[in-house]
Amino acid sequence: MSRQGPDDFTPRSYEVRHRTTYTYDEDVTTCYERGFLRPRETPSQRVVSNDVDISPEPLLVSEHRDHFGNESFYVEVRTPHRVLEVTKTSVVHVAWPLVDLAALDRWTVASAAEEIRRTGDPATVSTHLLPSVLVDVDDAVCAYAATHLTPTRPLGEAVVALTHAIFDDFDYRSGVTNVRTTLQDLLESRQGVCQDFTHLALGCLRAVGLPGRYVSGYLETAPPPGKVKLEGADASHAWASVLTPDGTWVDLDPTNDHLADSRYVVTAWGRDFRDVSPLKGVIFTESTTSSLKVGVDVTRLPEL
Amino acid sequence: MSVPVSASASEDVTEGASGTGPLADYRAQVRTEGGPDEWYDASHRLRPEQHPITSAVDQLGLPGLLAARGEARRLVEDDGIRYGPGAMDDDADPGRSWVIDPLPVVIGSQEWAGLESALRQRALLLQLLHDDLYGARRLLSDRVLPADVVLGHPGFIRGADGIAHQRLVLTATDLARDADGAWAVLADKTAAPAGAGYAMANRRVTSRVLGPVHRRASLARLRGFFDTMARALGAVAGSDVDTPRVVLLSPGTGAETAFDQGFLATLLGFPLVEGDDLSVRDGRVWIRSTGRSEPVDVVLRRLDAEFCDPLELRADSQLGLPGLVESARRGTVHLANPLGSGVLENPGLTPYLPALSRRLLGEDLALPSATTWWCGEPAELSHVLAHLDTLVVKPISRGAVVAARFGWDLSSAERDDLRREISARPWAWVGQEPIAMSTAPVVTPTGLTPGRFVLRTFGVAHADEHHVMPGGLGRVNTSAASLLVSNASGALAKDVWVLTDEPSGLRGWASRDPATQPALVRLQRRAAVAPRVADNLFWVGRYAERAEGIARLLRVADDLAEDHAQRPDTPGAATMAVMVAAGARLTGLAPQPGMSPSDHIRAMVGTPQQVGTLAHTGHRIVAAAENVRDQLSQDIWHVLSRLARTLATPAPTDVPLRQQLDVVLESLLAVAGVVHESMVRDQTWGFLDGGVRVERAQHTVALLRATLAVERAPITDGQVTESVLEACESILTHRRRTASGEGPAWPIHSATSLLLVDPGNPRSVAFQVARLGKALRLAADDDLVERAEALGASLADLDLVDVCAGDRAELRDVLATVETTLRAISADLTARHFSRKPTQRVLLGDWAGAGRP
Repeated sequence: MSRQGPDDFTPRSYEVRHRTTYTYDEDVTTCYERGFLRPRETPSQRVVSNDVDISPEPLLVSEHRDHFGNESFYVEVRTPHRVLEVTKTSVVHVAWPLVDLAALDRWTVASAAEEIRRTGDPATVSTHLLPSVLVDVDDAVCAYAATHLTPTRPLGEAVVALTHAIFDDFDYRSGVTNVRTTLQDLLESRQGVCQDFTHLALGCLRAVGLPGRYVSGYLETAPPPGKVKLEGADASHAWASVLTPDGTWVDLDPTNDHLADSRYVVTAWGRDFRDVSPLKGVIFTESTTSSLKVGVDVTRLPEL
Repeated sequence: MSVPVSASASEDVTEGASGTGPLADYRAQVRTEGGPDEWYDASHRLRPEQHPITSAVDQLGLPGLLAARGEARRLVEDDGIRYGPGAMDDDADPGRSWVIDPLPVVIGSQEWAGLESALRQRALLLQLLHDDLYGARRLLSDRVLPADVVLGHPGFIRGADGIAHQRLVLTATDLARDADGAWAVLADKTAAPAGAGYAMANRRVTSRVLGPVHRRASLARLRGFFDTMARALGAVAGSDVDTPRVVLLSPGTGAETAFDQGFLATLLGFPLVEGDDLSVRDGRVWIRSTGRSEPVDVVLRRLDAEFCDPLELRADSQLGLPGLVESARRGTVHLANPLGSGVLENPGLTPYLPALSRRLLGEDLALPSATTWWCGEPAELSHVLAHLDTLVVKPISRGAVVAARFGWDLSSAERDDLRREISARPWAWVGQEPIAMSTAPVVTPTGLTPGRFVLRTFGVAHADEHHVMPGGLGRVNTSAASLLVSNASGALAKDVWVLTDEPSGLRGWASRDPATQPALVRLQRRAAVAPRVADNLFWVGRYAERAEGIARLLRVADDLAEDHAQRPDTPGAATMAVMVAAGARLTGLAPQPGMSPSDHIRAMVGTPQQVGTLAHTGHRIVAAAENVRDQLSQDIWHVLSRLARTLATPAPTDVPLRQQLDVVLESLLAVAGVVHESMVRDQTWGFLDGGVRVERAQHTVALLRATLAVERAPITDGQVTESVLEACESILTHRRRTASGEGPAWPIHSATSLLLVDPGNPRSVAFQVARLGKALRLAADDDLVERAEALGASLADLDLVDVCAGDRAELRDVLATVETTLRAISADLTARHFSRKPTQRVLLGDWAGAGRP
């Protein structure tokens, strides 16, 4: 985990470079991609610049704001190729506030849920309360939620407790889960990666009536003590966000056991991974194998 | 009302239920079934507007009704009207026939006018609702409509959110009568409404079965509705597109309603396409074609929204088109109906429609629905859970599971399970009061029986108007005790006659106001031919020709077997053996050990399941034709269904095979006639005739190789030559020429001249090659045209005396060369013009790379 200190809340700028490389053993004649190639603007984040570089040269790149307000890109490559490389380079200014947990504690889990249902924007609440494909709220999820998000527990305390519980109860291990892993699989195996932990947090929040959304983005990492940070060593990241009765969202990272700070860069948000998958594609090819390489660098920029 | 009947005659009929006959029997049954009836009013008197039909029933009596029923079934089979999963897939079950009850349901003009205006209001309401749900969503933020009922419905397509100018062009509404006889809505069909094609097919069958009644009745015609639909779909492209190109996107011939889709495409004059026929380039949809690619302006979508685009919707869909949603978003293509229109089929919206109507239209809702409780509201949930035994319970979206459950049919354990299911996801369920539903008569062997009746109406939005088809798709179940009326559960279809006060037939034709309607149908450009379509046309031609060639050969062989099988070691028997062996070569079906020649010939006729047989080839013609239903004349279907029937089962062994083969050949000649006389000589014709020519040339060459290219005793050789000429339909010319001394003296020279090089004989290889050249020119492939012409020239240069000299090795060489050349042309044609898209693969996002510091 990454430890959190007061310094982590100071405003700063990052350059985020995210390069995805697909390699095939035969020509791909046509390729369509859909991805989030520009970070969205949020109350804690301003996009200073953004460059998208695609090779081979696409016939068409177009951008629109999707249902969730994310910057969604459509890419059409009609040049036969065996390697497709999509590179996004963004400069963002980030300033996350320290969450006032005591203020959240004026509600309990139950009263917060009730208040949100009564006064929240109905579409926003409904979107983030209903189960989604990867966040299927069944009895097992409800049971897990019930141990940490008891109705009478103060809201701030409950959110921190949930974040901590998932961090404690589950092992971080890559390669055991994938895009189809359900919460039921996860509760069984007790191991996974940040997407899985985020889905579980969302399942618990929704189970008790708290709207939860999936956030995809990046987190600045520090190299092990005494080591130099390697190029491409960072990764995309995911965490959860919960709607509070005053209309703000509080972002929690169960993978690292703390709430979000200014090291967190947001790309997009939705109901679960499927709404915000960074890049997905449909290709036409007789190639039977493909390999995917992803390199991410989150570089803190000197203050201007 | 101008029902052409006098008041006194109507009285007679009412009183004339004299206690006998189908009408009286039906009346007695209706009295005991309860609920309204389409024929008899509450005091058990015949409704006067039913007179056109009921008087006919009186005249026909049960024998006449059963004859009409039989005739309807025969016509359904002839027209190939089918319904059901895998209906046209040749590997699956042969597909359920559509079953039409011959008696239409009649609706009077006044009642219809009221229904029509209520349906117009409903369509407008649904459009406004759609606009809001995919726009500002004020209805949700103002809490007029619970957000869960909309956002929890899988028909709410987030990927379609924000796409501008989405017109709900097509609507369909399932209606039934309540206890008072008033119409109530059972369901709205807005996603990709099916059935308008079936309605027209029902009308065609019913009007033929009840010809005189149909002609006398003053009823609205349906044709005009389809013209309006075609115009409306074209208009969706926007006013800046002069000649909009509209396609009907189908999931393929395996779809349940494949017939409806194909027939609708024909009625509208739009090409029927599948995902493979289209591609997205530069954010636009194009018809794939090697000749010219053509943009598509409007897609009439019969594919479920979720399957339309693997990039943005269901990633595992192989039926859709990546980039389609983006194209719609860019406005380069318009979908009818829009992708997200399925959310309006949601029965959870029903309780809110009266309030929505007042808010959005400022009017009271004219058409009631079944009283509905949406379980997403706690109070309504408890009502449903407490009254499960009296309610119809259904999920708000049709899934893989059974759509509706009748609470009173469930055991208490089943009710408990249902209660649990509902409680787990209450927003996903509704409970509805059952609607009484009217009864309508069904013709059965024992007389008329009442069944519950559901009416599906169809509407089209065009300009500022909503047009309702003056008629609809009627469906009736076979037991008035059940409220389930669905095709899947064996309901019958009924034509729906809407009476009109206007002079017969005028109503239902499109108004032709020259100011607003520049043409009956906006001009549709001849669409580019997609590879899948070209491929199927080519194979319709090839299989039809192959079947004919095999049938002719087997007929000759069978005649020989009849005459000579019992006389071994005669030249006749030797000839028979050569011809049977040739059949085996051409079909690839060697005799089983111990098989007599006659049995071997019958085995080559075979069954549709055995590859290579005549029956299989016949079956393949039908399958290939089904794939290009929109390209072929309607007349072809009854010919093809006769062919399929003839070849469905082997002829009994005590019946001469020749009878079956004669019928097969008649059908194939009829197919050739329809194709020849009804197809425009354009690219589509080029592919079809190209298939015919390649096949006939290949067949003739292969037959010659198996017969005349082998040196035999002169007496056998003479007989084999005659048999080959007969199998190639050239024996008369040969005899005439020989008799008049104008042809070559030797039979072999006459035969090779007639069958190989004679440019004037429509059965010769040279003739096929010349026609192939023309066909390839239509297909716009200059290289292949050149190669066909070169082959033609080489045939013209042959010296037959040299070629046929000695042991005929040279003839074998020539034939082998011709065959190789034809094969190469066919292979290149296939590779260049029929090639499907490469395999579509989906690359989901990066998952494993995500980590923690």
